[in-house]
Amino acid sequence: MPEKKTGVYLCGGCGIAEATSLDALDAVAVKEFKVPYCRRHDFLCGEDGLRTIRDDVTAGKVNQVVIAGCSPRVNADRFRFDGAQVIRANLREQVAWTQPAGIDDTGMLAADYVRMAITEAGKSNPPLPYQEGPYSERILVVGGGISGLTAAREAALAGCEVVLVEQSDQLGGHARRWSKRMPQRPPYQAPQNNDVDRLVAAVEADPRIEVRRRSRVAKTSGGPGKFTVTLRQDGADQSIAIGAIVLATGWLPYDPSKLGHLGYGVSPDVVTSVALEEMLAAGALSRPSDGLPANTIAFIQCAGSRDPDHLPYCSSVCCGVSIKQALQIRQADRDSSVYVLYQELRTPGVAEEFYRAAQKAGVVFIKGTVKSVGADLTVIIDDALLREEVPLAGLDLVVLATGMVPNAVGMMDGAEEPSPLPADDINPLSPIAVAGYAAAAVPAPSATPQPPPTQFFAGGTPLLNLQYRQGPHLPILAQGFADSHFICFPYETRRTGIYTCGPLRRPMDMAESAEDATGAALKAIQAIRNAVEGRALHPRSGDLSFPKIGLNTCTKCRRCTVECPFGAIDETPEGFPIVNPTRCRRCGVCMGACPVRTISFDNYSVEMLTSMIKAVEVPEEDEAKPRVLVMACQNDAYPALDMAGIARSRMSPYVRTIPVRCLGSVSLLCVSEALSSGYDGIILMGCKSGDDYQCHFVTGSAVAQERLTKIAETLKSMALEKERVQMIEASIADAGRLPKILDDYMAVIDKIGPSPLKGFG
Amino acid sequence: MSAIAAADGRKYDLHFARWVYQNVDGGDRLPLCMQCGMCSGSCPLGTAMDYGPRKLLMMIRAGMKAAVLASDTIWNCTQCYNSWLRCPRQIRVTSILQGLATVAVKEGYAPKRPTARFSRAFWFSVTHFGRTDERLVTAFYYFSCGFKEGIQRALANLPIARRMVKGKRMHLGAPHRVRRTADLRAILTKAEEIETREKVSEAGR
Repeated sequence: MPEKKTGVYLCGGCGIAEATSLDALDAVAVKEFKVPYCRRHDFLCGEDGLRTIRDDVTAGKVNQVVIAGCSPRVNADRFRFDGAQVIRANLREQVAWTQPAGIDDTGMLAADYVRMAITEAGKSNPPLPYQEGPYSERILVVGGGISGLTAAREAALAGCEVVLVEQSDQLGGHARRWSKRMPQRPPYQAPQNNDVDRLVAAVEADPRIEVRRRSRVAKTSGGPGKFTVTLRQDGADQSIAIGAIVLATGWLPYDPSKLGHLGYGVSPDVVTSVALEEMLAAGALSRPSDGLPANTIAFIQCAGSRDPDHLPYCSSVCCGVSIKQALQIRQADRDSSVYVLYQELRTPGVAEEFYRAAQKAGVVFIKGTVKSVGADLTVIIDDALLREEVPLAGLDLVVLATGMVPNAVGMMDGAEEPSPLPADDINPLSPIAVAGYAAAAVPAPSATPQPPPTQFFAGGTPLLNLQYRQGPHLPILAQGFADSHFICFPYETRRTGIYTCGPLRRPMDMAESAEDATGAALKAIQAIRNAVEGRALHPRSGDLSFPKIGLNTCTKCRRCTVECPFGAIDETPEGFPIVNPTRCRRCGVCMGACPVRTISFDNYSVEMLTSMIKAVEVPEEDEAKPRVLVMACQNDAYPALDMAGIARSRMSPYVRTIPVRCLGSVSLLCVSEALSSGYDGIILMGCKSGDDYQCHFVTGSAVAQERLTKIAETLKSMALEKERVQMIEASIADAGRLPKILDDYMAVIDKIGPSPLKGFG
Repeated sequence: MSAIAAADGRKYDLHFARWVYQNVDGGDRLPLCMQCGMCSGSCPLGTAMDYGPRKLLMMIRAGMKAAVLASDTIWNCTQCYNSWLRCPRQIRVTSILQGLATVAVKEGYAPKRPTARFSRAFWFSVTHFGRTDERLVTAFYYFSCGFKEGIQRALANLPIARRMVKGKRMHLGAPHRVRRTADLRAILTKAEEIETREKVSEAGR
């Protein structure tokens, strides 16, 4: 590694020069830190300013550029110099724009940020990307239904090679059996022809797509760009190299045998909407019991859906399906009578047009709750519009509009080797088991406890049978749907490079599935490109660093392998952690977890953070100038603080903020070091944790919270008040509240007085 | 013009509803009713009705012919047009109620309510004379309540009538009529003929 030549560049623009003395900052760099090279400019991000830096870099005078100016969140594209690492000190949003100009406190704040940045430069190295090939750029699509076919087709159109694995011997999935589909084109009023055959033909004709029927994934190992997938076809295994995986295993209709209360099984004339679809595809409707023509038909909506005893959720498509089928029946037979018995009809967007078309065609919509379905098909409905119980007699057919169950654990026919679901990995409410810590239950965030997810999926074959430390299953969300970071990255699962789409992720119709599959295919392509170039996927897009584990000090405690939200770290047979860099999302949760601080990134480490913490000058107790350390998550909390600065909110001058990759990357050592350095208070500021988490790394803020529960004893042993360490959950929308929150915290610190540890650090 | 009812009075038998859709003015948009209740909420007389317009429309759909035609909803409608104007599905509620009233009269459902009898008195005067004659309409209406009540009511109104005659607001001669009542009758006969023809051709379609 070349010798570090650090240069400090002070920007005087945007009010920085007025707010604080650049001479003083210059002195900090040159006298205090002996930085050989310190320059000033009034407008560093302008062409002239940039040229100054670029010339110094080209001349080989500096290879580490410390820019004291605006926030690292802005101008990142301008302050980019080939052959130099850039480090930023935020003197604009966090100092000039939030503090009164020219007073001592402001000067001290600015000087501390310069100290921190120079310290960071000293402990940071330009990251060397992991690029150890060979990489495969082939995409594996699992499932040959609408989602899978679309994903394969879209990926192939983008120029990728695709392997499409289908369990049965026919492509098309459920949609193959549909007679018609819901309207896709204006005026969205009539059922459209099912064009799945055309999609199947396009996939079969595409030379880039290799279709493997009667195949399953027997085993998956590796990571993005380097997956080794064993496919089992007709009992024979074959391993192939894969770059990224799109999982489109779709859905199953809810088991109607559980719907005895709605007449299923009482009469053969009570059928599910899936069965009706096949009857419609076959031709004129007849009663299954005696083959007589059926022309008086009732649809029962929400059959086994939105029902705490069955599927608690809305499958969103059943209303549209029933409307479609009702219209088909009305169009085929003008004398038919079709009733749709609903509780709430859900026809979002253009589906309202479809609903209106059905009304116009004479489909009768009856709002109410079905009380019973008799053997003679008399449906008793508590009619909410007539306000009375109405017997609906003379029906030929009763159709149960059943919901969608995600096929997230391989419950399809022919599932072999069912393996129990590792509950702690899948249930988001289960305690986080951390070796060395007693397993404490994470409190359920909602007042009404969710039923355990196992209620909906008793077990099954792991779809991909991942050979990961964290188990063979893809993580599953509360109601059995496959993992998704719903808020920020819907296709993203906690297994990098594996993307879910279609009804596996949430209930959706054919059009939505196709759109979803297109998105997942795009993500898969991105994952491969990033893996090949050694870059991180979002949210740390483009990050070249990856965690390095010093095995000589590793105690094999397994905290990193357990806590990694993405299952990126496996274990060797000897129990040592081994990082799969292409699976890694660079959040640093492993770094925060490691009790011996042996996990670090080239440009991010516990040592770097603690040095930055200690670089701040903490005034003596009698000066009455407290110091509060804020470790702020770079994803939401730090931008929110910057936004408070942009809004020119006044913020406490005693706060020192360090952006961190994720609260999960904060080691408890950072907290105890800060306490012993004489800080009066410490705030960990990050995203919302829990079931409705907003953490970009899913569990980062939850593990930070878990760790903080352990700090109470540390505080006690140091004879410190528990208020001195706090966690604040802040989202990007909290920018307006943060100054007040910090002021309130300063009032608390004022009340409990200065830290007794000042001067010992 | 006979509105079919369910053979066995089953609820949600669609024969009556479909008859209304096809034969009652404004009925063509009735299937589009989404039961939002804007009509009932807008009706100034909703509280004075057996059923509000929303429920009546649902009862049509549910095939409750007898209850619909015997309800006073269709007679208490003042034709203010609020429901029609505000209906998000552009259903001509006023027209539908009016049409149902006609059916109710023809099929003998019309209740012995003042509004129904008054309508008949009005219609008599207009069709026979081409004009409304207050004395005729009033007398027709009073005596439709029965002979005794007719006499009583007429006597009660006698002082008013006397003053009206005195003030030349009422005359004592034969009712005013349009010049050519024969033509009027011809027009009405033709109108009935056209109506019947349309119904027949519609049924044939």
